[in-house]
Amino acid sequence: MPRSADKSHETGGRLGTWGARLLAVAFWLVAWQLVAWVVDARIILVGPLEVLARLVELVGTGEFWASVATSLGRIGAGFVGGVASGVALAAAASRLPVVRALLAPVMGALKAVPVASFVILVLLWVSSSNLSVVIAWIMALPIVYTNVCEGIAQTDAGLLEMADVFGLTGLDRVRLVYLARVLPYFRAAVSLALGLSWKAGIAAEVIGLPDLTIGEHLYDAKVYLDTPSLFAWTVAIVVVSAALSAVVDRALGAALRRWEARP
Amino acid sequence: MSGGAFELRRVEKNYGELSVLAGASARFEAGRAHVLMGPSGAGKTTVLRLLAGLETPDAGEVVRPADARLAMTFQDDRLLDNLTATANVRLPHARLRGADLEAFLARERAALVAVGLPVDSRPVRDLSGGQRRRVAILRCVLADADALLFDEPLKGMDEKTVAQVMDYVTPLLAGKTVLWVTHDPREKDLLPDPVLWTVRDGLIFPA
Repeated sequence: MPRSADKSHETGGRLGTWGARLLAVAFWLVAWQLVAWVVDARIILVGPLEVLARLVELVGTGEFWASVATSLGRIGAGFVGGVASGVALAAAASRLPVVRALLAPVMGALKAVPVASFVILVLLWVSSSNLSVVIAWIMALPIVYTNVCEGIAQTDAGLLEMADVFGLTGLDRVRLVYLARVLPYFRAAVSLALGLSWKAGIAAEVIGLPDLTIGEHLYDAKVYLDTPSLFAWTVAIVVVSAALSAVVDRALGAALRRWEARP
Repeated sequence: MSGGAFELRRVEKNYGELSVLAGASARFEAGRAHVLMGPSGAGKTTVLRLLAGLETPDAGEVVRPADARLAMTFQDDRLLDNLTATANVRLPHARLRGADLEAFLARERAALVAVGLPVDSRPVRDLSGGQRRRVAILRCVLADADALLFDEPLKGMDEKTVAQVMDYVTPLLAGKTVLWVTHDPREKDLLPDPVLWTVRDGLIFPA
């Protein structure tokens, strides 16, 4: 098949997929609106049109953007810390069995303990404004640690032998041999950890109630029975989450492609 | 010019119950090409791996020149699948930067063309088996090494490609210690004045 025909076929396929997705979303929006009309009680349920109107109002305020920025900054800091420490600990654990053995129960506990328990515990130790930083860190750390450990373990022993023969040591060995195997695991971990850190971080804000954050606005909306705002903030959380995920995924994908294609 | 000789002294090597080398001795003089032939399973690859330091003998001694810089091709290529051909060939030169890097890249590109490989940004996972093998050979011969170890490097290549590869590779072998493992006797004619060895029955004999 000619290349242009291939391309148009591919574009058509992508449009079809997006069309199907949009149709599905439209179906559920219509269903939501119908249910809202049937229930006819704004305290319990508001329709998507009213939520959209409230969201537009919120987006026009400086407080909205300040709150999003505060939540994003704190959760982002915790997430980056979790990723960095997860990678560093995985590297140490892969080199030193004693580190791996020591960390195994800690990582197991971090994965098993419910977020709410952590939130309440951490509130005893840090101020509410730093709570979401710690919670996002706790969410990202074990996921990144586990995946990077797995990627390192999966590194081809034959490639390591080859690196030995050619005298490749230290950072060059990490950069050229390990990185190739670990990157797909790292990318999957970042994608998963990002969503979890964001959701858990917002949940922590709802409990800790730091000023001018998304969590505080969610809590206020619930307390004052302001259901349109509750829905609007929830939509904002979902949109930010989806945008973050898309941006990070694309950035990692582009970096990976550039790295692979370098001469 | 390469360093000292490689030597096996009464080397024994077993894999479980299987005895591969049983008191093998040989001295591979520096700066020459040595071709090791023998039937499949005779222990040729084991000899190469011992000389490369990838195996330790169960008995006897393996003597390698101090500070020898090695390069090697393996039977299974051992390329970094997600990198380009040039990035793979450049692997032993990981620290090159700036003008040195540009100069080496130009040399790499000329080498790829000389052995009939495409110069593009595809990762080597997209190359055919024969193309990958040529990349591995280039990585070996373009490494800044004193001793080059080849484990059946031309296996499965057609005669035209072999001629093309050897036209490029042979001048680069001059003055280096070359250990060339093959089961194809025709390959001894591709190297300049090689010392011939036969690996058989757990021993190494001058052929």
